[in-house]
Amino acid sequence: MWQTALIEIEGAVSQANFSTWFKETRILKEEEGVIFLGVPNSFTQEWLYKKFHNSILRILRQMNDRVRALEYVVIKDEERRGTESKKGGFIAPTLSMPLQDFYINKEDNLNPRYTFDNFVVGPFNELAHAASQTVIKNPGHAYNPLFIYGDTGRGKTHLMQAVGNQIKKLYPEKKLFYMTSERFGSELFTAIQENKVQQFKDRYRKYDVVIMDDIQFFANKEKFQEELFHFFNTFKDSGRQLIFSSDKHPNIITGLEDRLRGRFSAGMVVDIPEPDLESRMVIVRAKCTTHNITLPDDVVEHLASSIEDNIREIEGIINIISCQTQLKNKQLSLNEIKNILKNNTKPKKTLSVKEVVKIVSDFYNIDEESINNKTRRKEVVRPRQVVMYLLREDFSMSFPSIGEKLGGRDHTTVIHSYEKVKEEIKTDTLLSQEIGQVRSML
Amino acid sequence: MKFETNLQKLKESVALVERVAGKHITLPVLSCILIEVKKNIAILRATNLDVGMEISLPIKSQNEGIVAIPAKTLFSFLSQISDQNHVVQLELVSGNIQITSAKTRGVIKTMPIEDFPSIPSILEAEQFTLSSELFIKGLKSVYYSASVSSVKPELSSVYVYKDTGGLAFVATDSFRLAEKKLKISIPSQFNDILIPFKNVSEIIRALEYIKSDVEVSSNKNLISFRAGDVYVVSRVIDGVFPDYRQIIPKSFTTEAIVLKQDFINALKVSNIFSDKFNQVHIVVDPKTKVFEIQTKNVDIGENKTLVDAALTGERVEINFNYKYIADSFQSIDSDSISLQFSGLNRPMVIRPVSGEQSFMYLAMPMNR
Repeated sequence: MWQTALIEIEGAVSQANFSTWFKETRILKEEEGVIFLGVPNSFTQEWLYKKFHNSILRILRQMNDRVRALEYVVIKDEERRGTESKKGGFIAPTLSMPLQDFYINKEDNLNPRYTFDNFVVGPFNELAHAASQTVIKNPGHAYNPLFIYGDTGRGKTHLMQAVGNQIKKLYPEKKLFYMTSERFGSELFTAIQENKVQQFKDRYRKYDVVIMDDIQFFANKEKFQEELFHFFNTFKDSGRQLIFSSDKHPNIITGLEDRLRGRFSAGMVVDIPEPDLESRMVIVRAKCTTHNITLPDDVVEHLASSIEDNIREIEGIINIISCQTQLKNKQLSLNEIKNILKNNTKPKKTLSVKEVVKIVSDFYNIDEESINNKTRRKEVVRPRQVVMYLLREDFSMSFPSIGEKLGGRDHTTVIHSYEKVKEEIKTDTLLSQEIGQVRSML
Repeated sequence: MKFETNLQKLKESVALVERVAGKHITLPVLSCILIEVKKNIAILRATNLDVGMEISLPIKSQNEGIVAIPAKTLFSFLSQISDQNHVVQLELVSGNIQITSAKTRGVIKTMPIEDFPSIPSILEAEQFTLSSELFIKGLKSVYYSASVSSVKPELSSVYVYKDTGGLAFVATDSFRLAEKKLKISIPSQFNDILIPFKNVSEIIRALEYIKSDVEVSSNKNLISFRAGDVYVVSRVIDGVFPDYRQIIPKSFTTEAIVLKQDFINALKVSNIFSDKFNQVHIVVDPKTKVFEIQTKNVDIGENKTLVDAALTGERVEINFNYKYIADSFQSIDSDSISLQFSGLNRPMVIRPVSGEQSFMYLAMPMNR
């Protein structure tokens, strides 16, 4: 329609005028008789309106009598992009910054890089992935809130942002917003200072989906928790989706109000545990493809088995490998990679038995000495077994020396405790969480 | 149309708007300055449809009217004439403009004014006032780092956003990045803007002409500056600037503190021998207290220059494009600068050591 109109306009105005003002215009959409005409800039917008508005409108009406009005809209620069192609074959000798990874959408704060296409699903995060898919199918109703927890570097942020990006794609009319709880907190803080709490509330309440990352920062911050609580209620009652993440299960985040805890658990709480070896290998391979490098199988296996619990660390190592491959212009040998690993991963900390005992006894709030004593009080037995388990599992001490260090016990006692804890954590979630927490303090 | 005005004033205003007037544009009238004569005031306008500028000039008018004069001709002519009384007279005589000073008279052909577009103004915008001097400083400190290619419009722009306690100016072409922070009180609802790099120099020139405080308005598509007799409006890029803060290294492995002038001199010497990529090789070895710049060109020769420096951290050997380092010095006022390295594929951070420390520069190393 616009093409035909342009031909008529071209006849009516001078060639110079036509190529200046009409060349880059197009009809964006038509809504109830209102035509939205896309123009390249505000200068054109203003001038078309001033000078040619009536003539354009007349021509459009002749072609289609339903046309009631004409609006001019400046076309976003991004949409016009891509008409210029990059110079082929030219390689800048200076490395460029990885800026393309840091485009964050202003309206929803999501990073478009995080999608399900590059999200590796393995046995370890299957449940979290499935829960997210259910939420995407029916946002606001299926699991509300969706609470994802797991240690740092397990892909919580990726998963949540991917859910956001997917919801955005499937339901363009839904307004959503991603933020870290830190941001929520600091904005609330400024709002309180400037006496603009109401505006703050209104701003967030207009969204249909809110994704809040790292909720554990709210621990011990009562005012924030209160605000979040109210926010939560208004949100959930009106059937809007909330997605949270944290490094721990809501029930064991210390300094969190019970009423919030209850609400977090009311929807679906899923855990992203440590990735298994196969998944880690898939992740290593996926990262290699994005970096355009190929690694032999033994290297992949070595990487996957040396970095156990942190996917982000895997990413870091692959980054280094890719850079070094580029620099040296050849594939790295397994030995070179082992070296990189040695220099760039967190060294396993060495702790004395005494320190482990102290941390565990502090955690359970018992006297340090009682671990070494012969007492069989229940509140001491559990921590003592945990100490033994940790010393064996994480520090690979021999059973006899553990027994010796802990008040001269027989090694069979230690074996028994170790096996007991090992069995129990499979069924007792409370115990396994406790151990997880102790581990994070070591 | 006929009026008389101060020659010097007219020269200055024409010089300013002439830069904006379009060159080689499909619409010939855009290469003109439009002069609208009213009672005691003349308004000069020019635009290239990316930037628009208006200057009003006090005059003694006899007849009102509007005329479009080719900017280049008017500017070249005016800049050559003089008058001991500093007065010039312009008169429209049968479609041509006749310019008369004491000894010189010129007649320039005009163009039809009908097609000269209006210069947009911003309605319903956020408005605030700030010192033009500070804004110039912000722009000048960073705009040379913007990308000259138009493939990514957001990178061929200067990004201005509200930071705690003021405004931050950032520009990058992805090989280096400059950031300047200024302490200015800004209304809390100020939205980020991307000013196209090629309009920045016109804006700077207009602000330098203004000198005083300036009223800034912006919306999604435009930013404008208004002060007294000057109005300048520029298109802004409706896009997203990458979250560049994630690229700034948070720690470093090696640091060198050098006198800026020493470093510049050493780089100048090195540049004589640099290759076609302007590659300079920097060696920092805190153990042996060596900070050395090396260049080598198979066709010319090679050189090594030592620079006195305070060094800490690990040994590093790394290559840079000379130009990308040298560019940063124009924005650094202090005597000493700090160079921080954090690995072979990470950017080097350059900061002033004393005085105003609101400037930061990142330069990416070369990969060979």
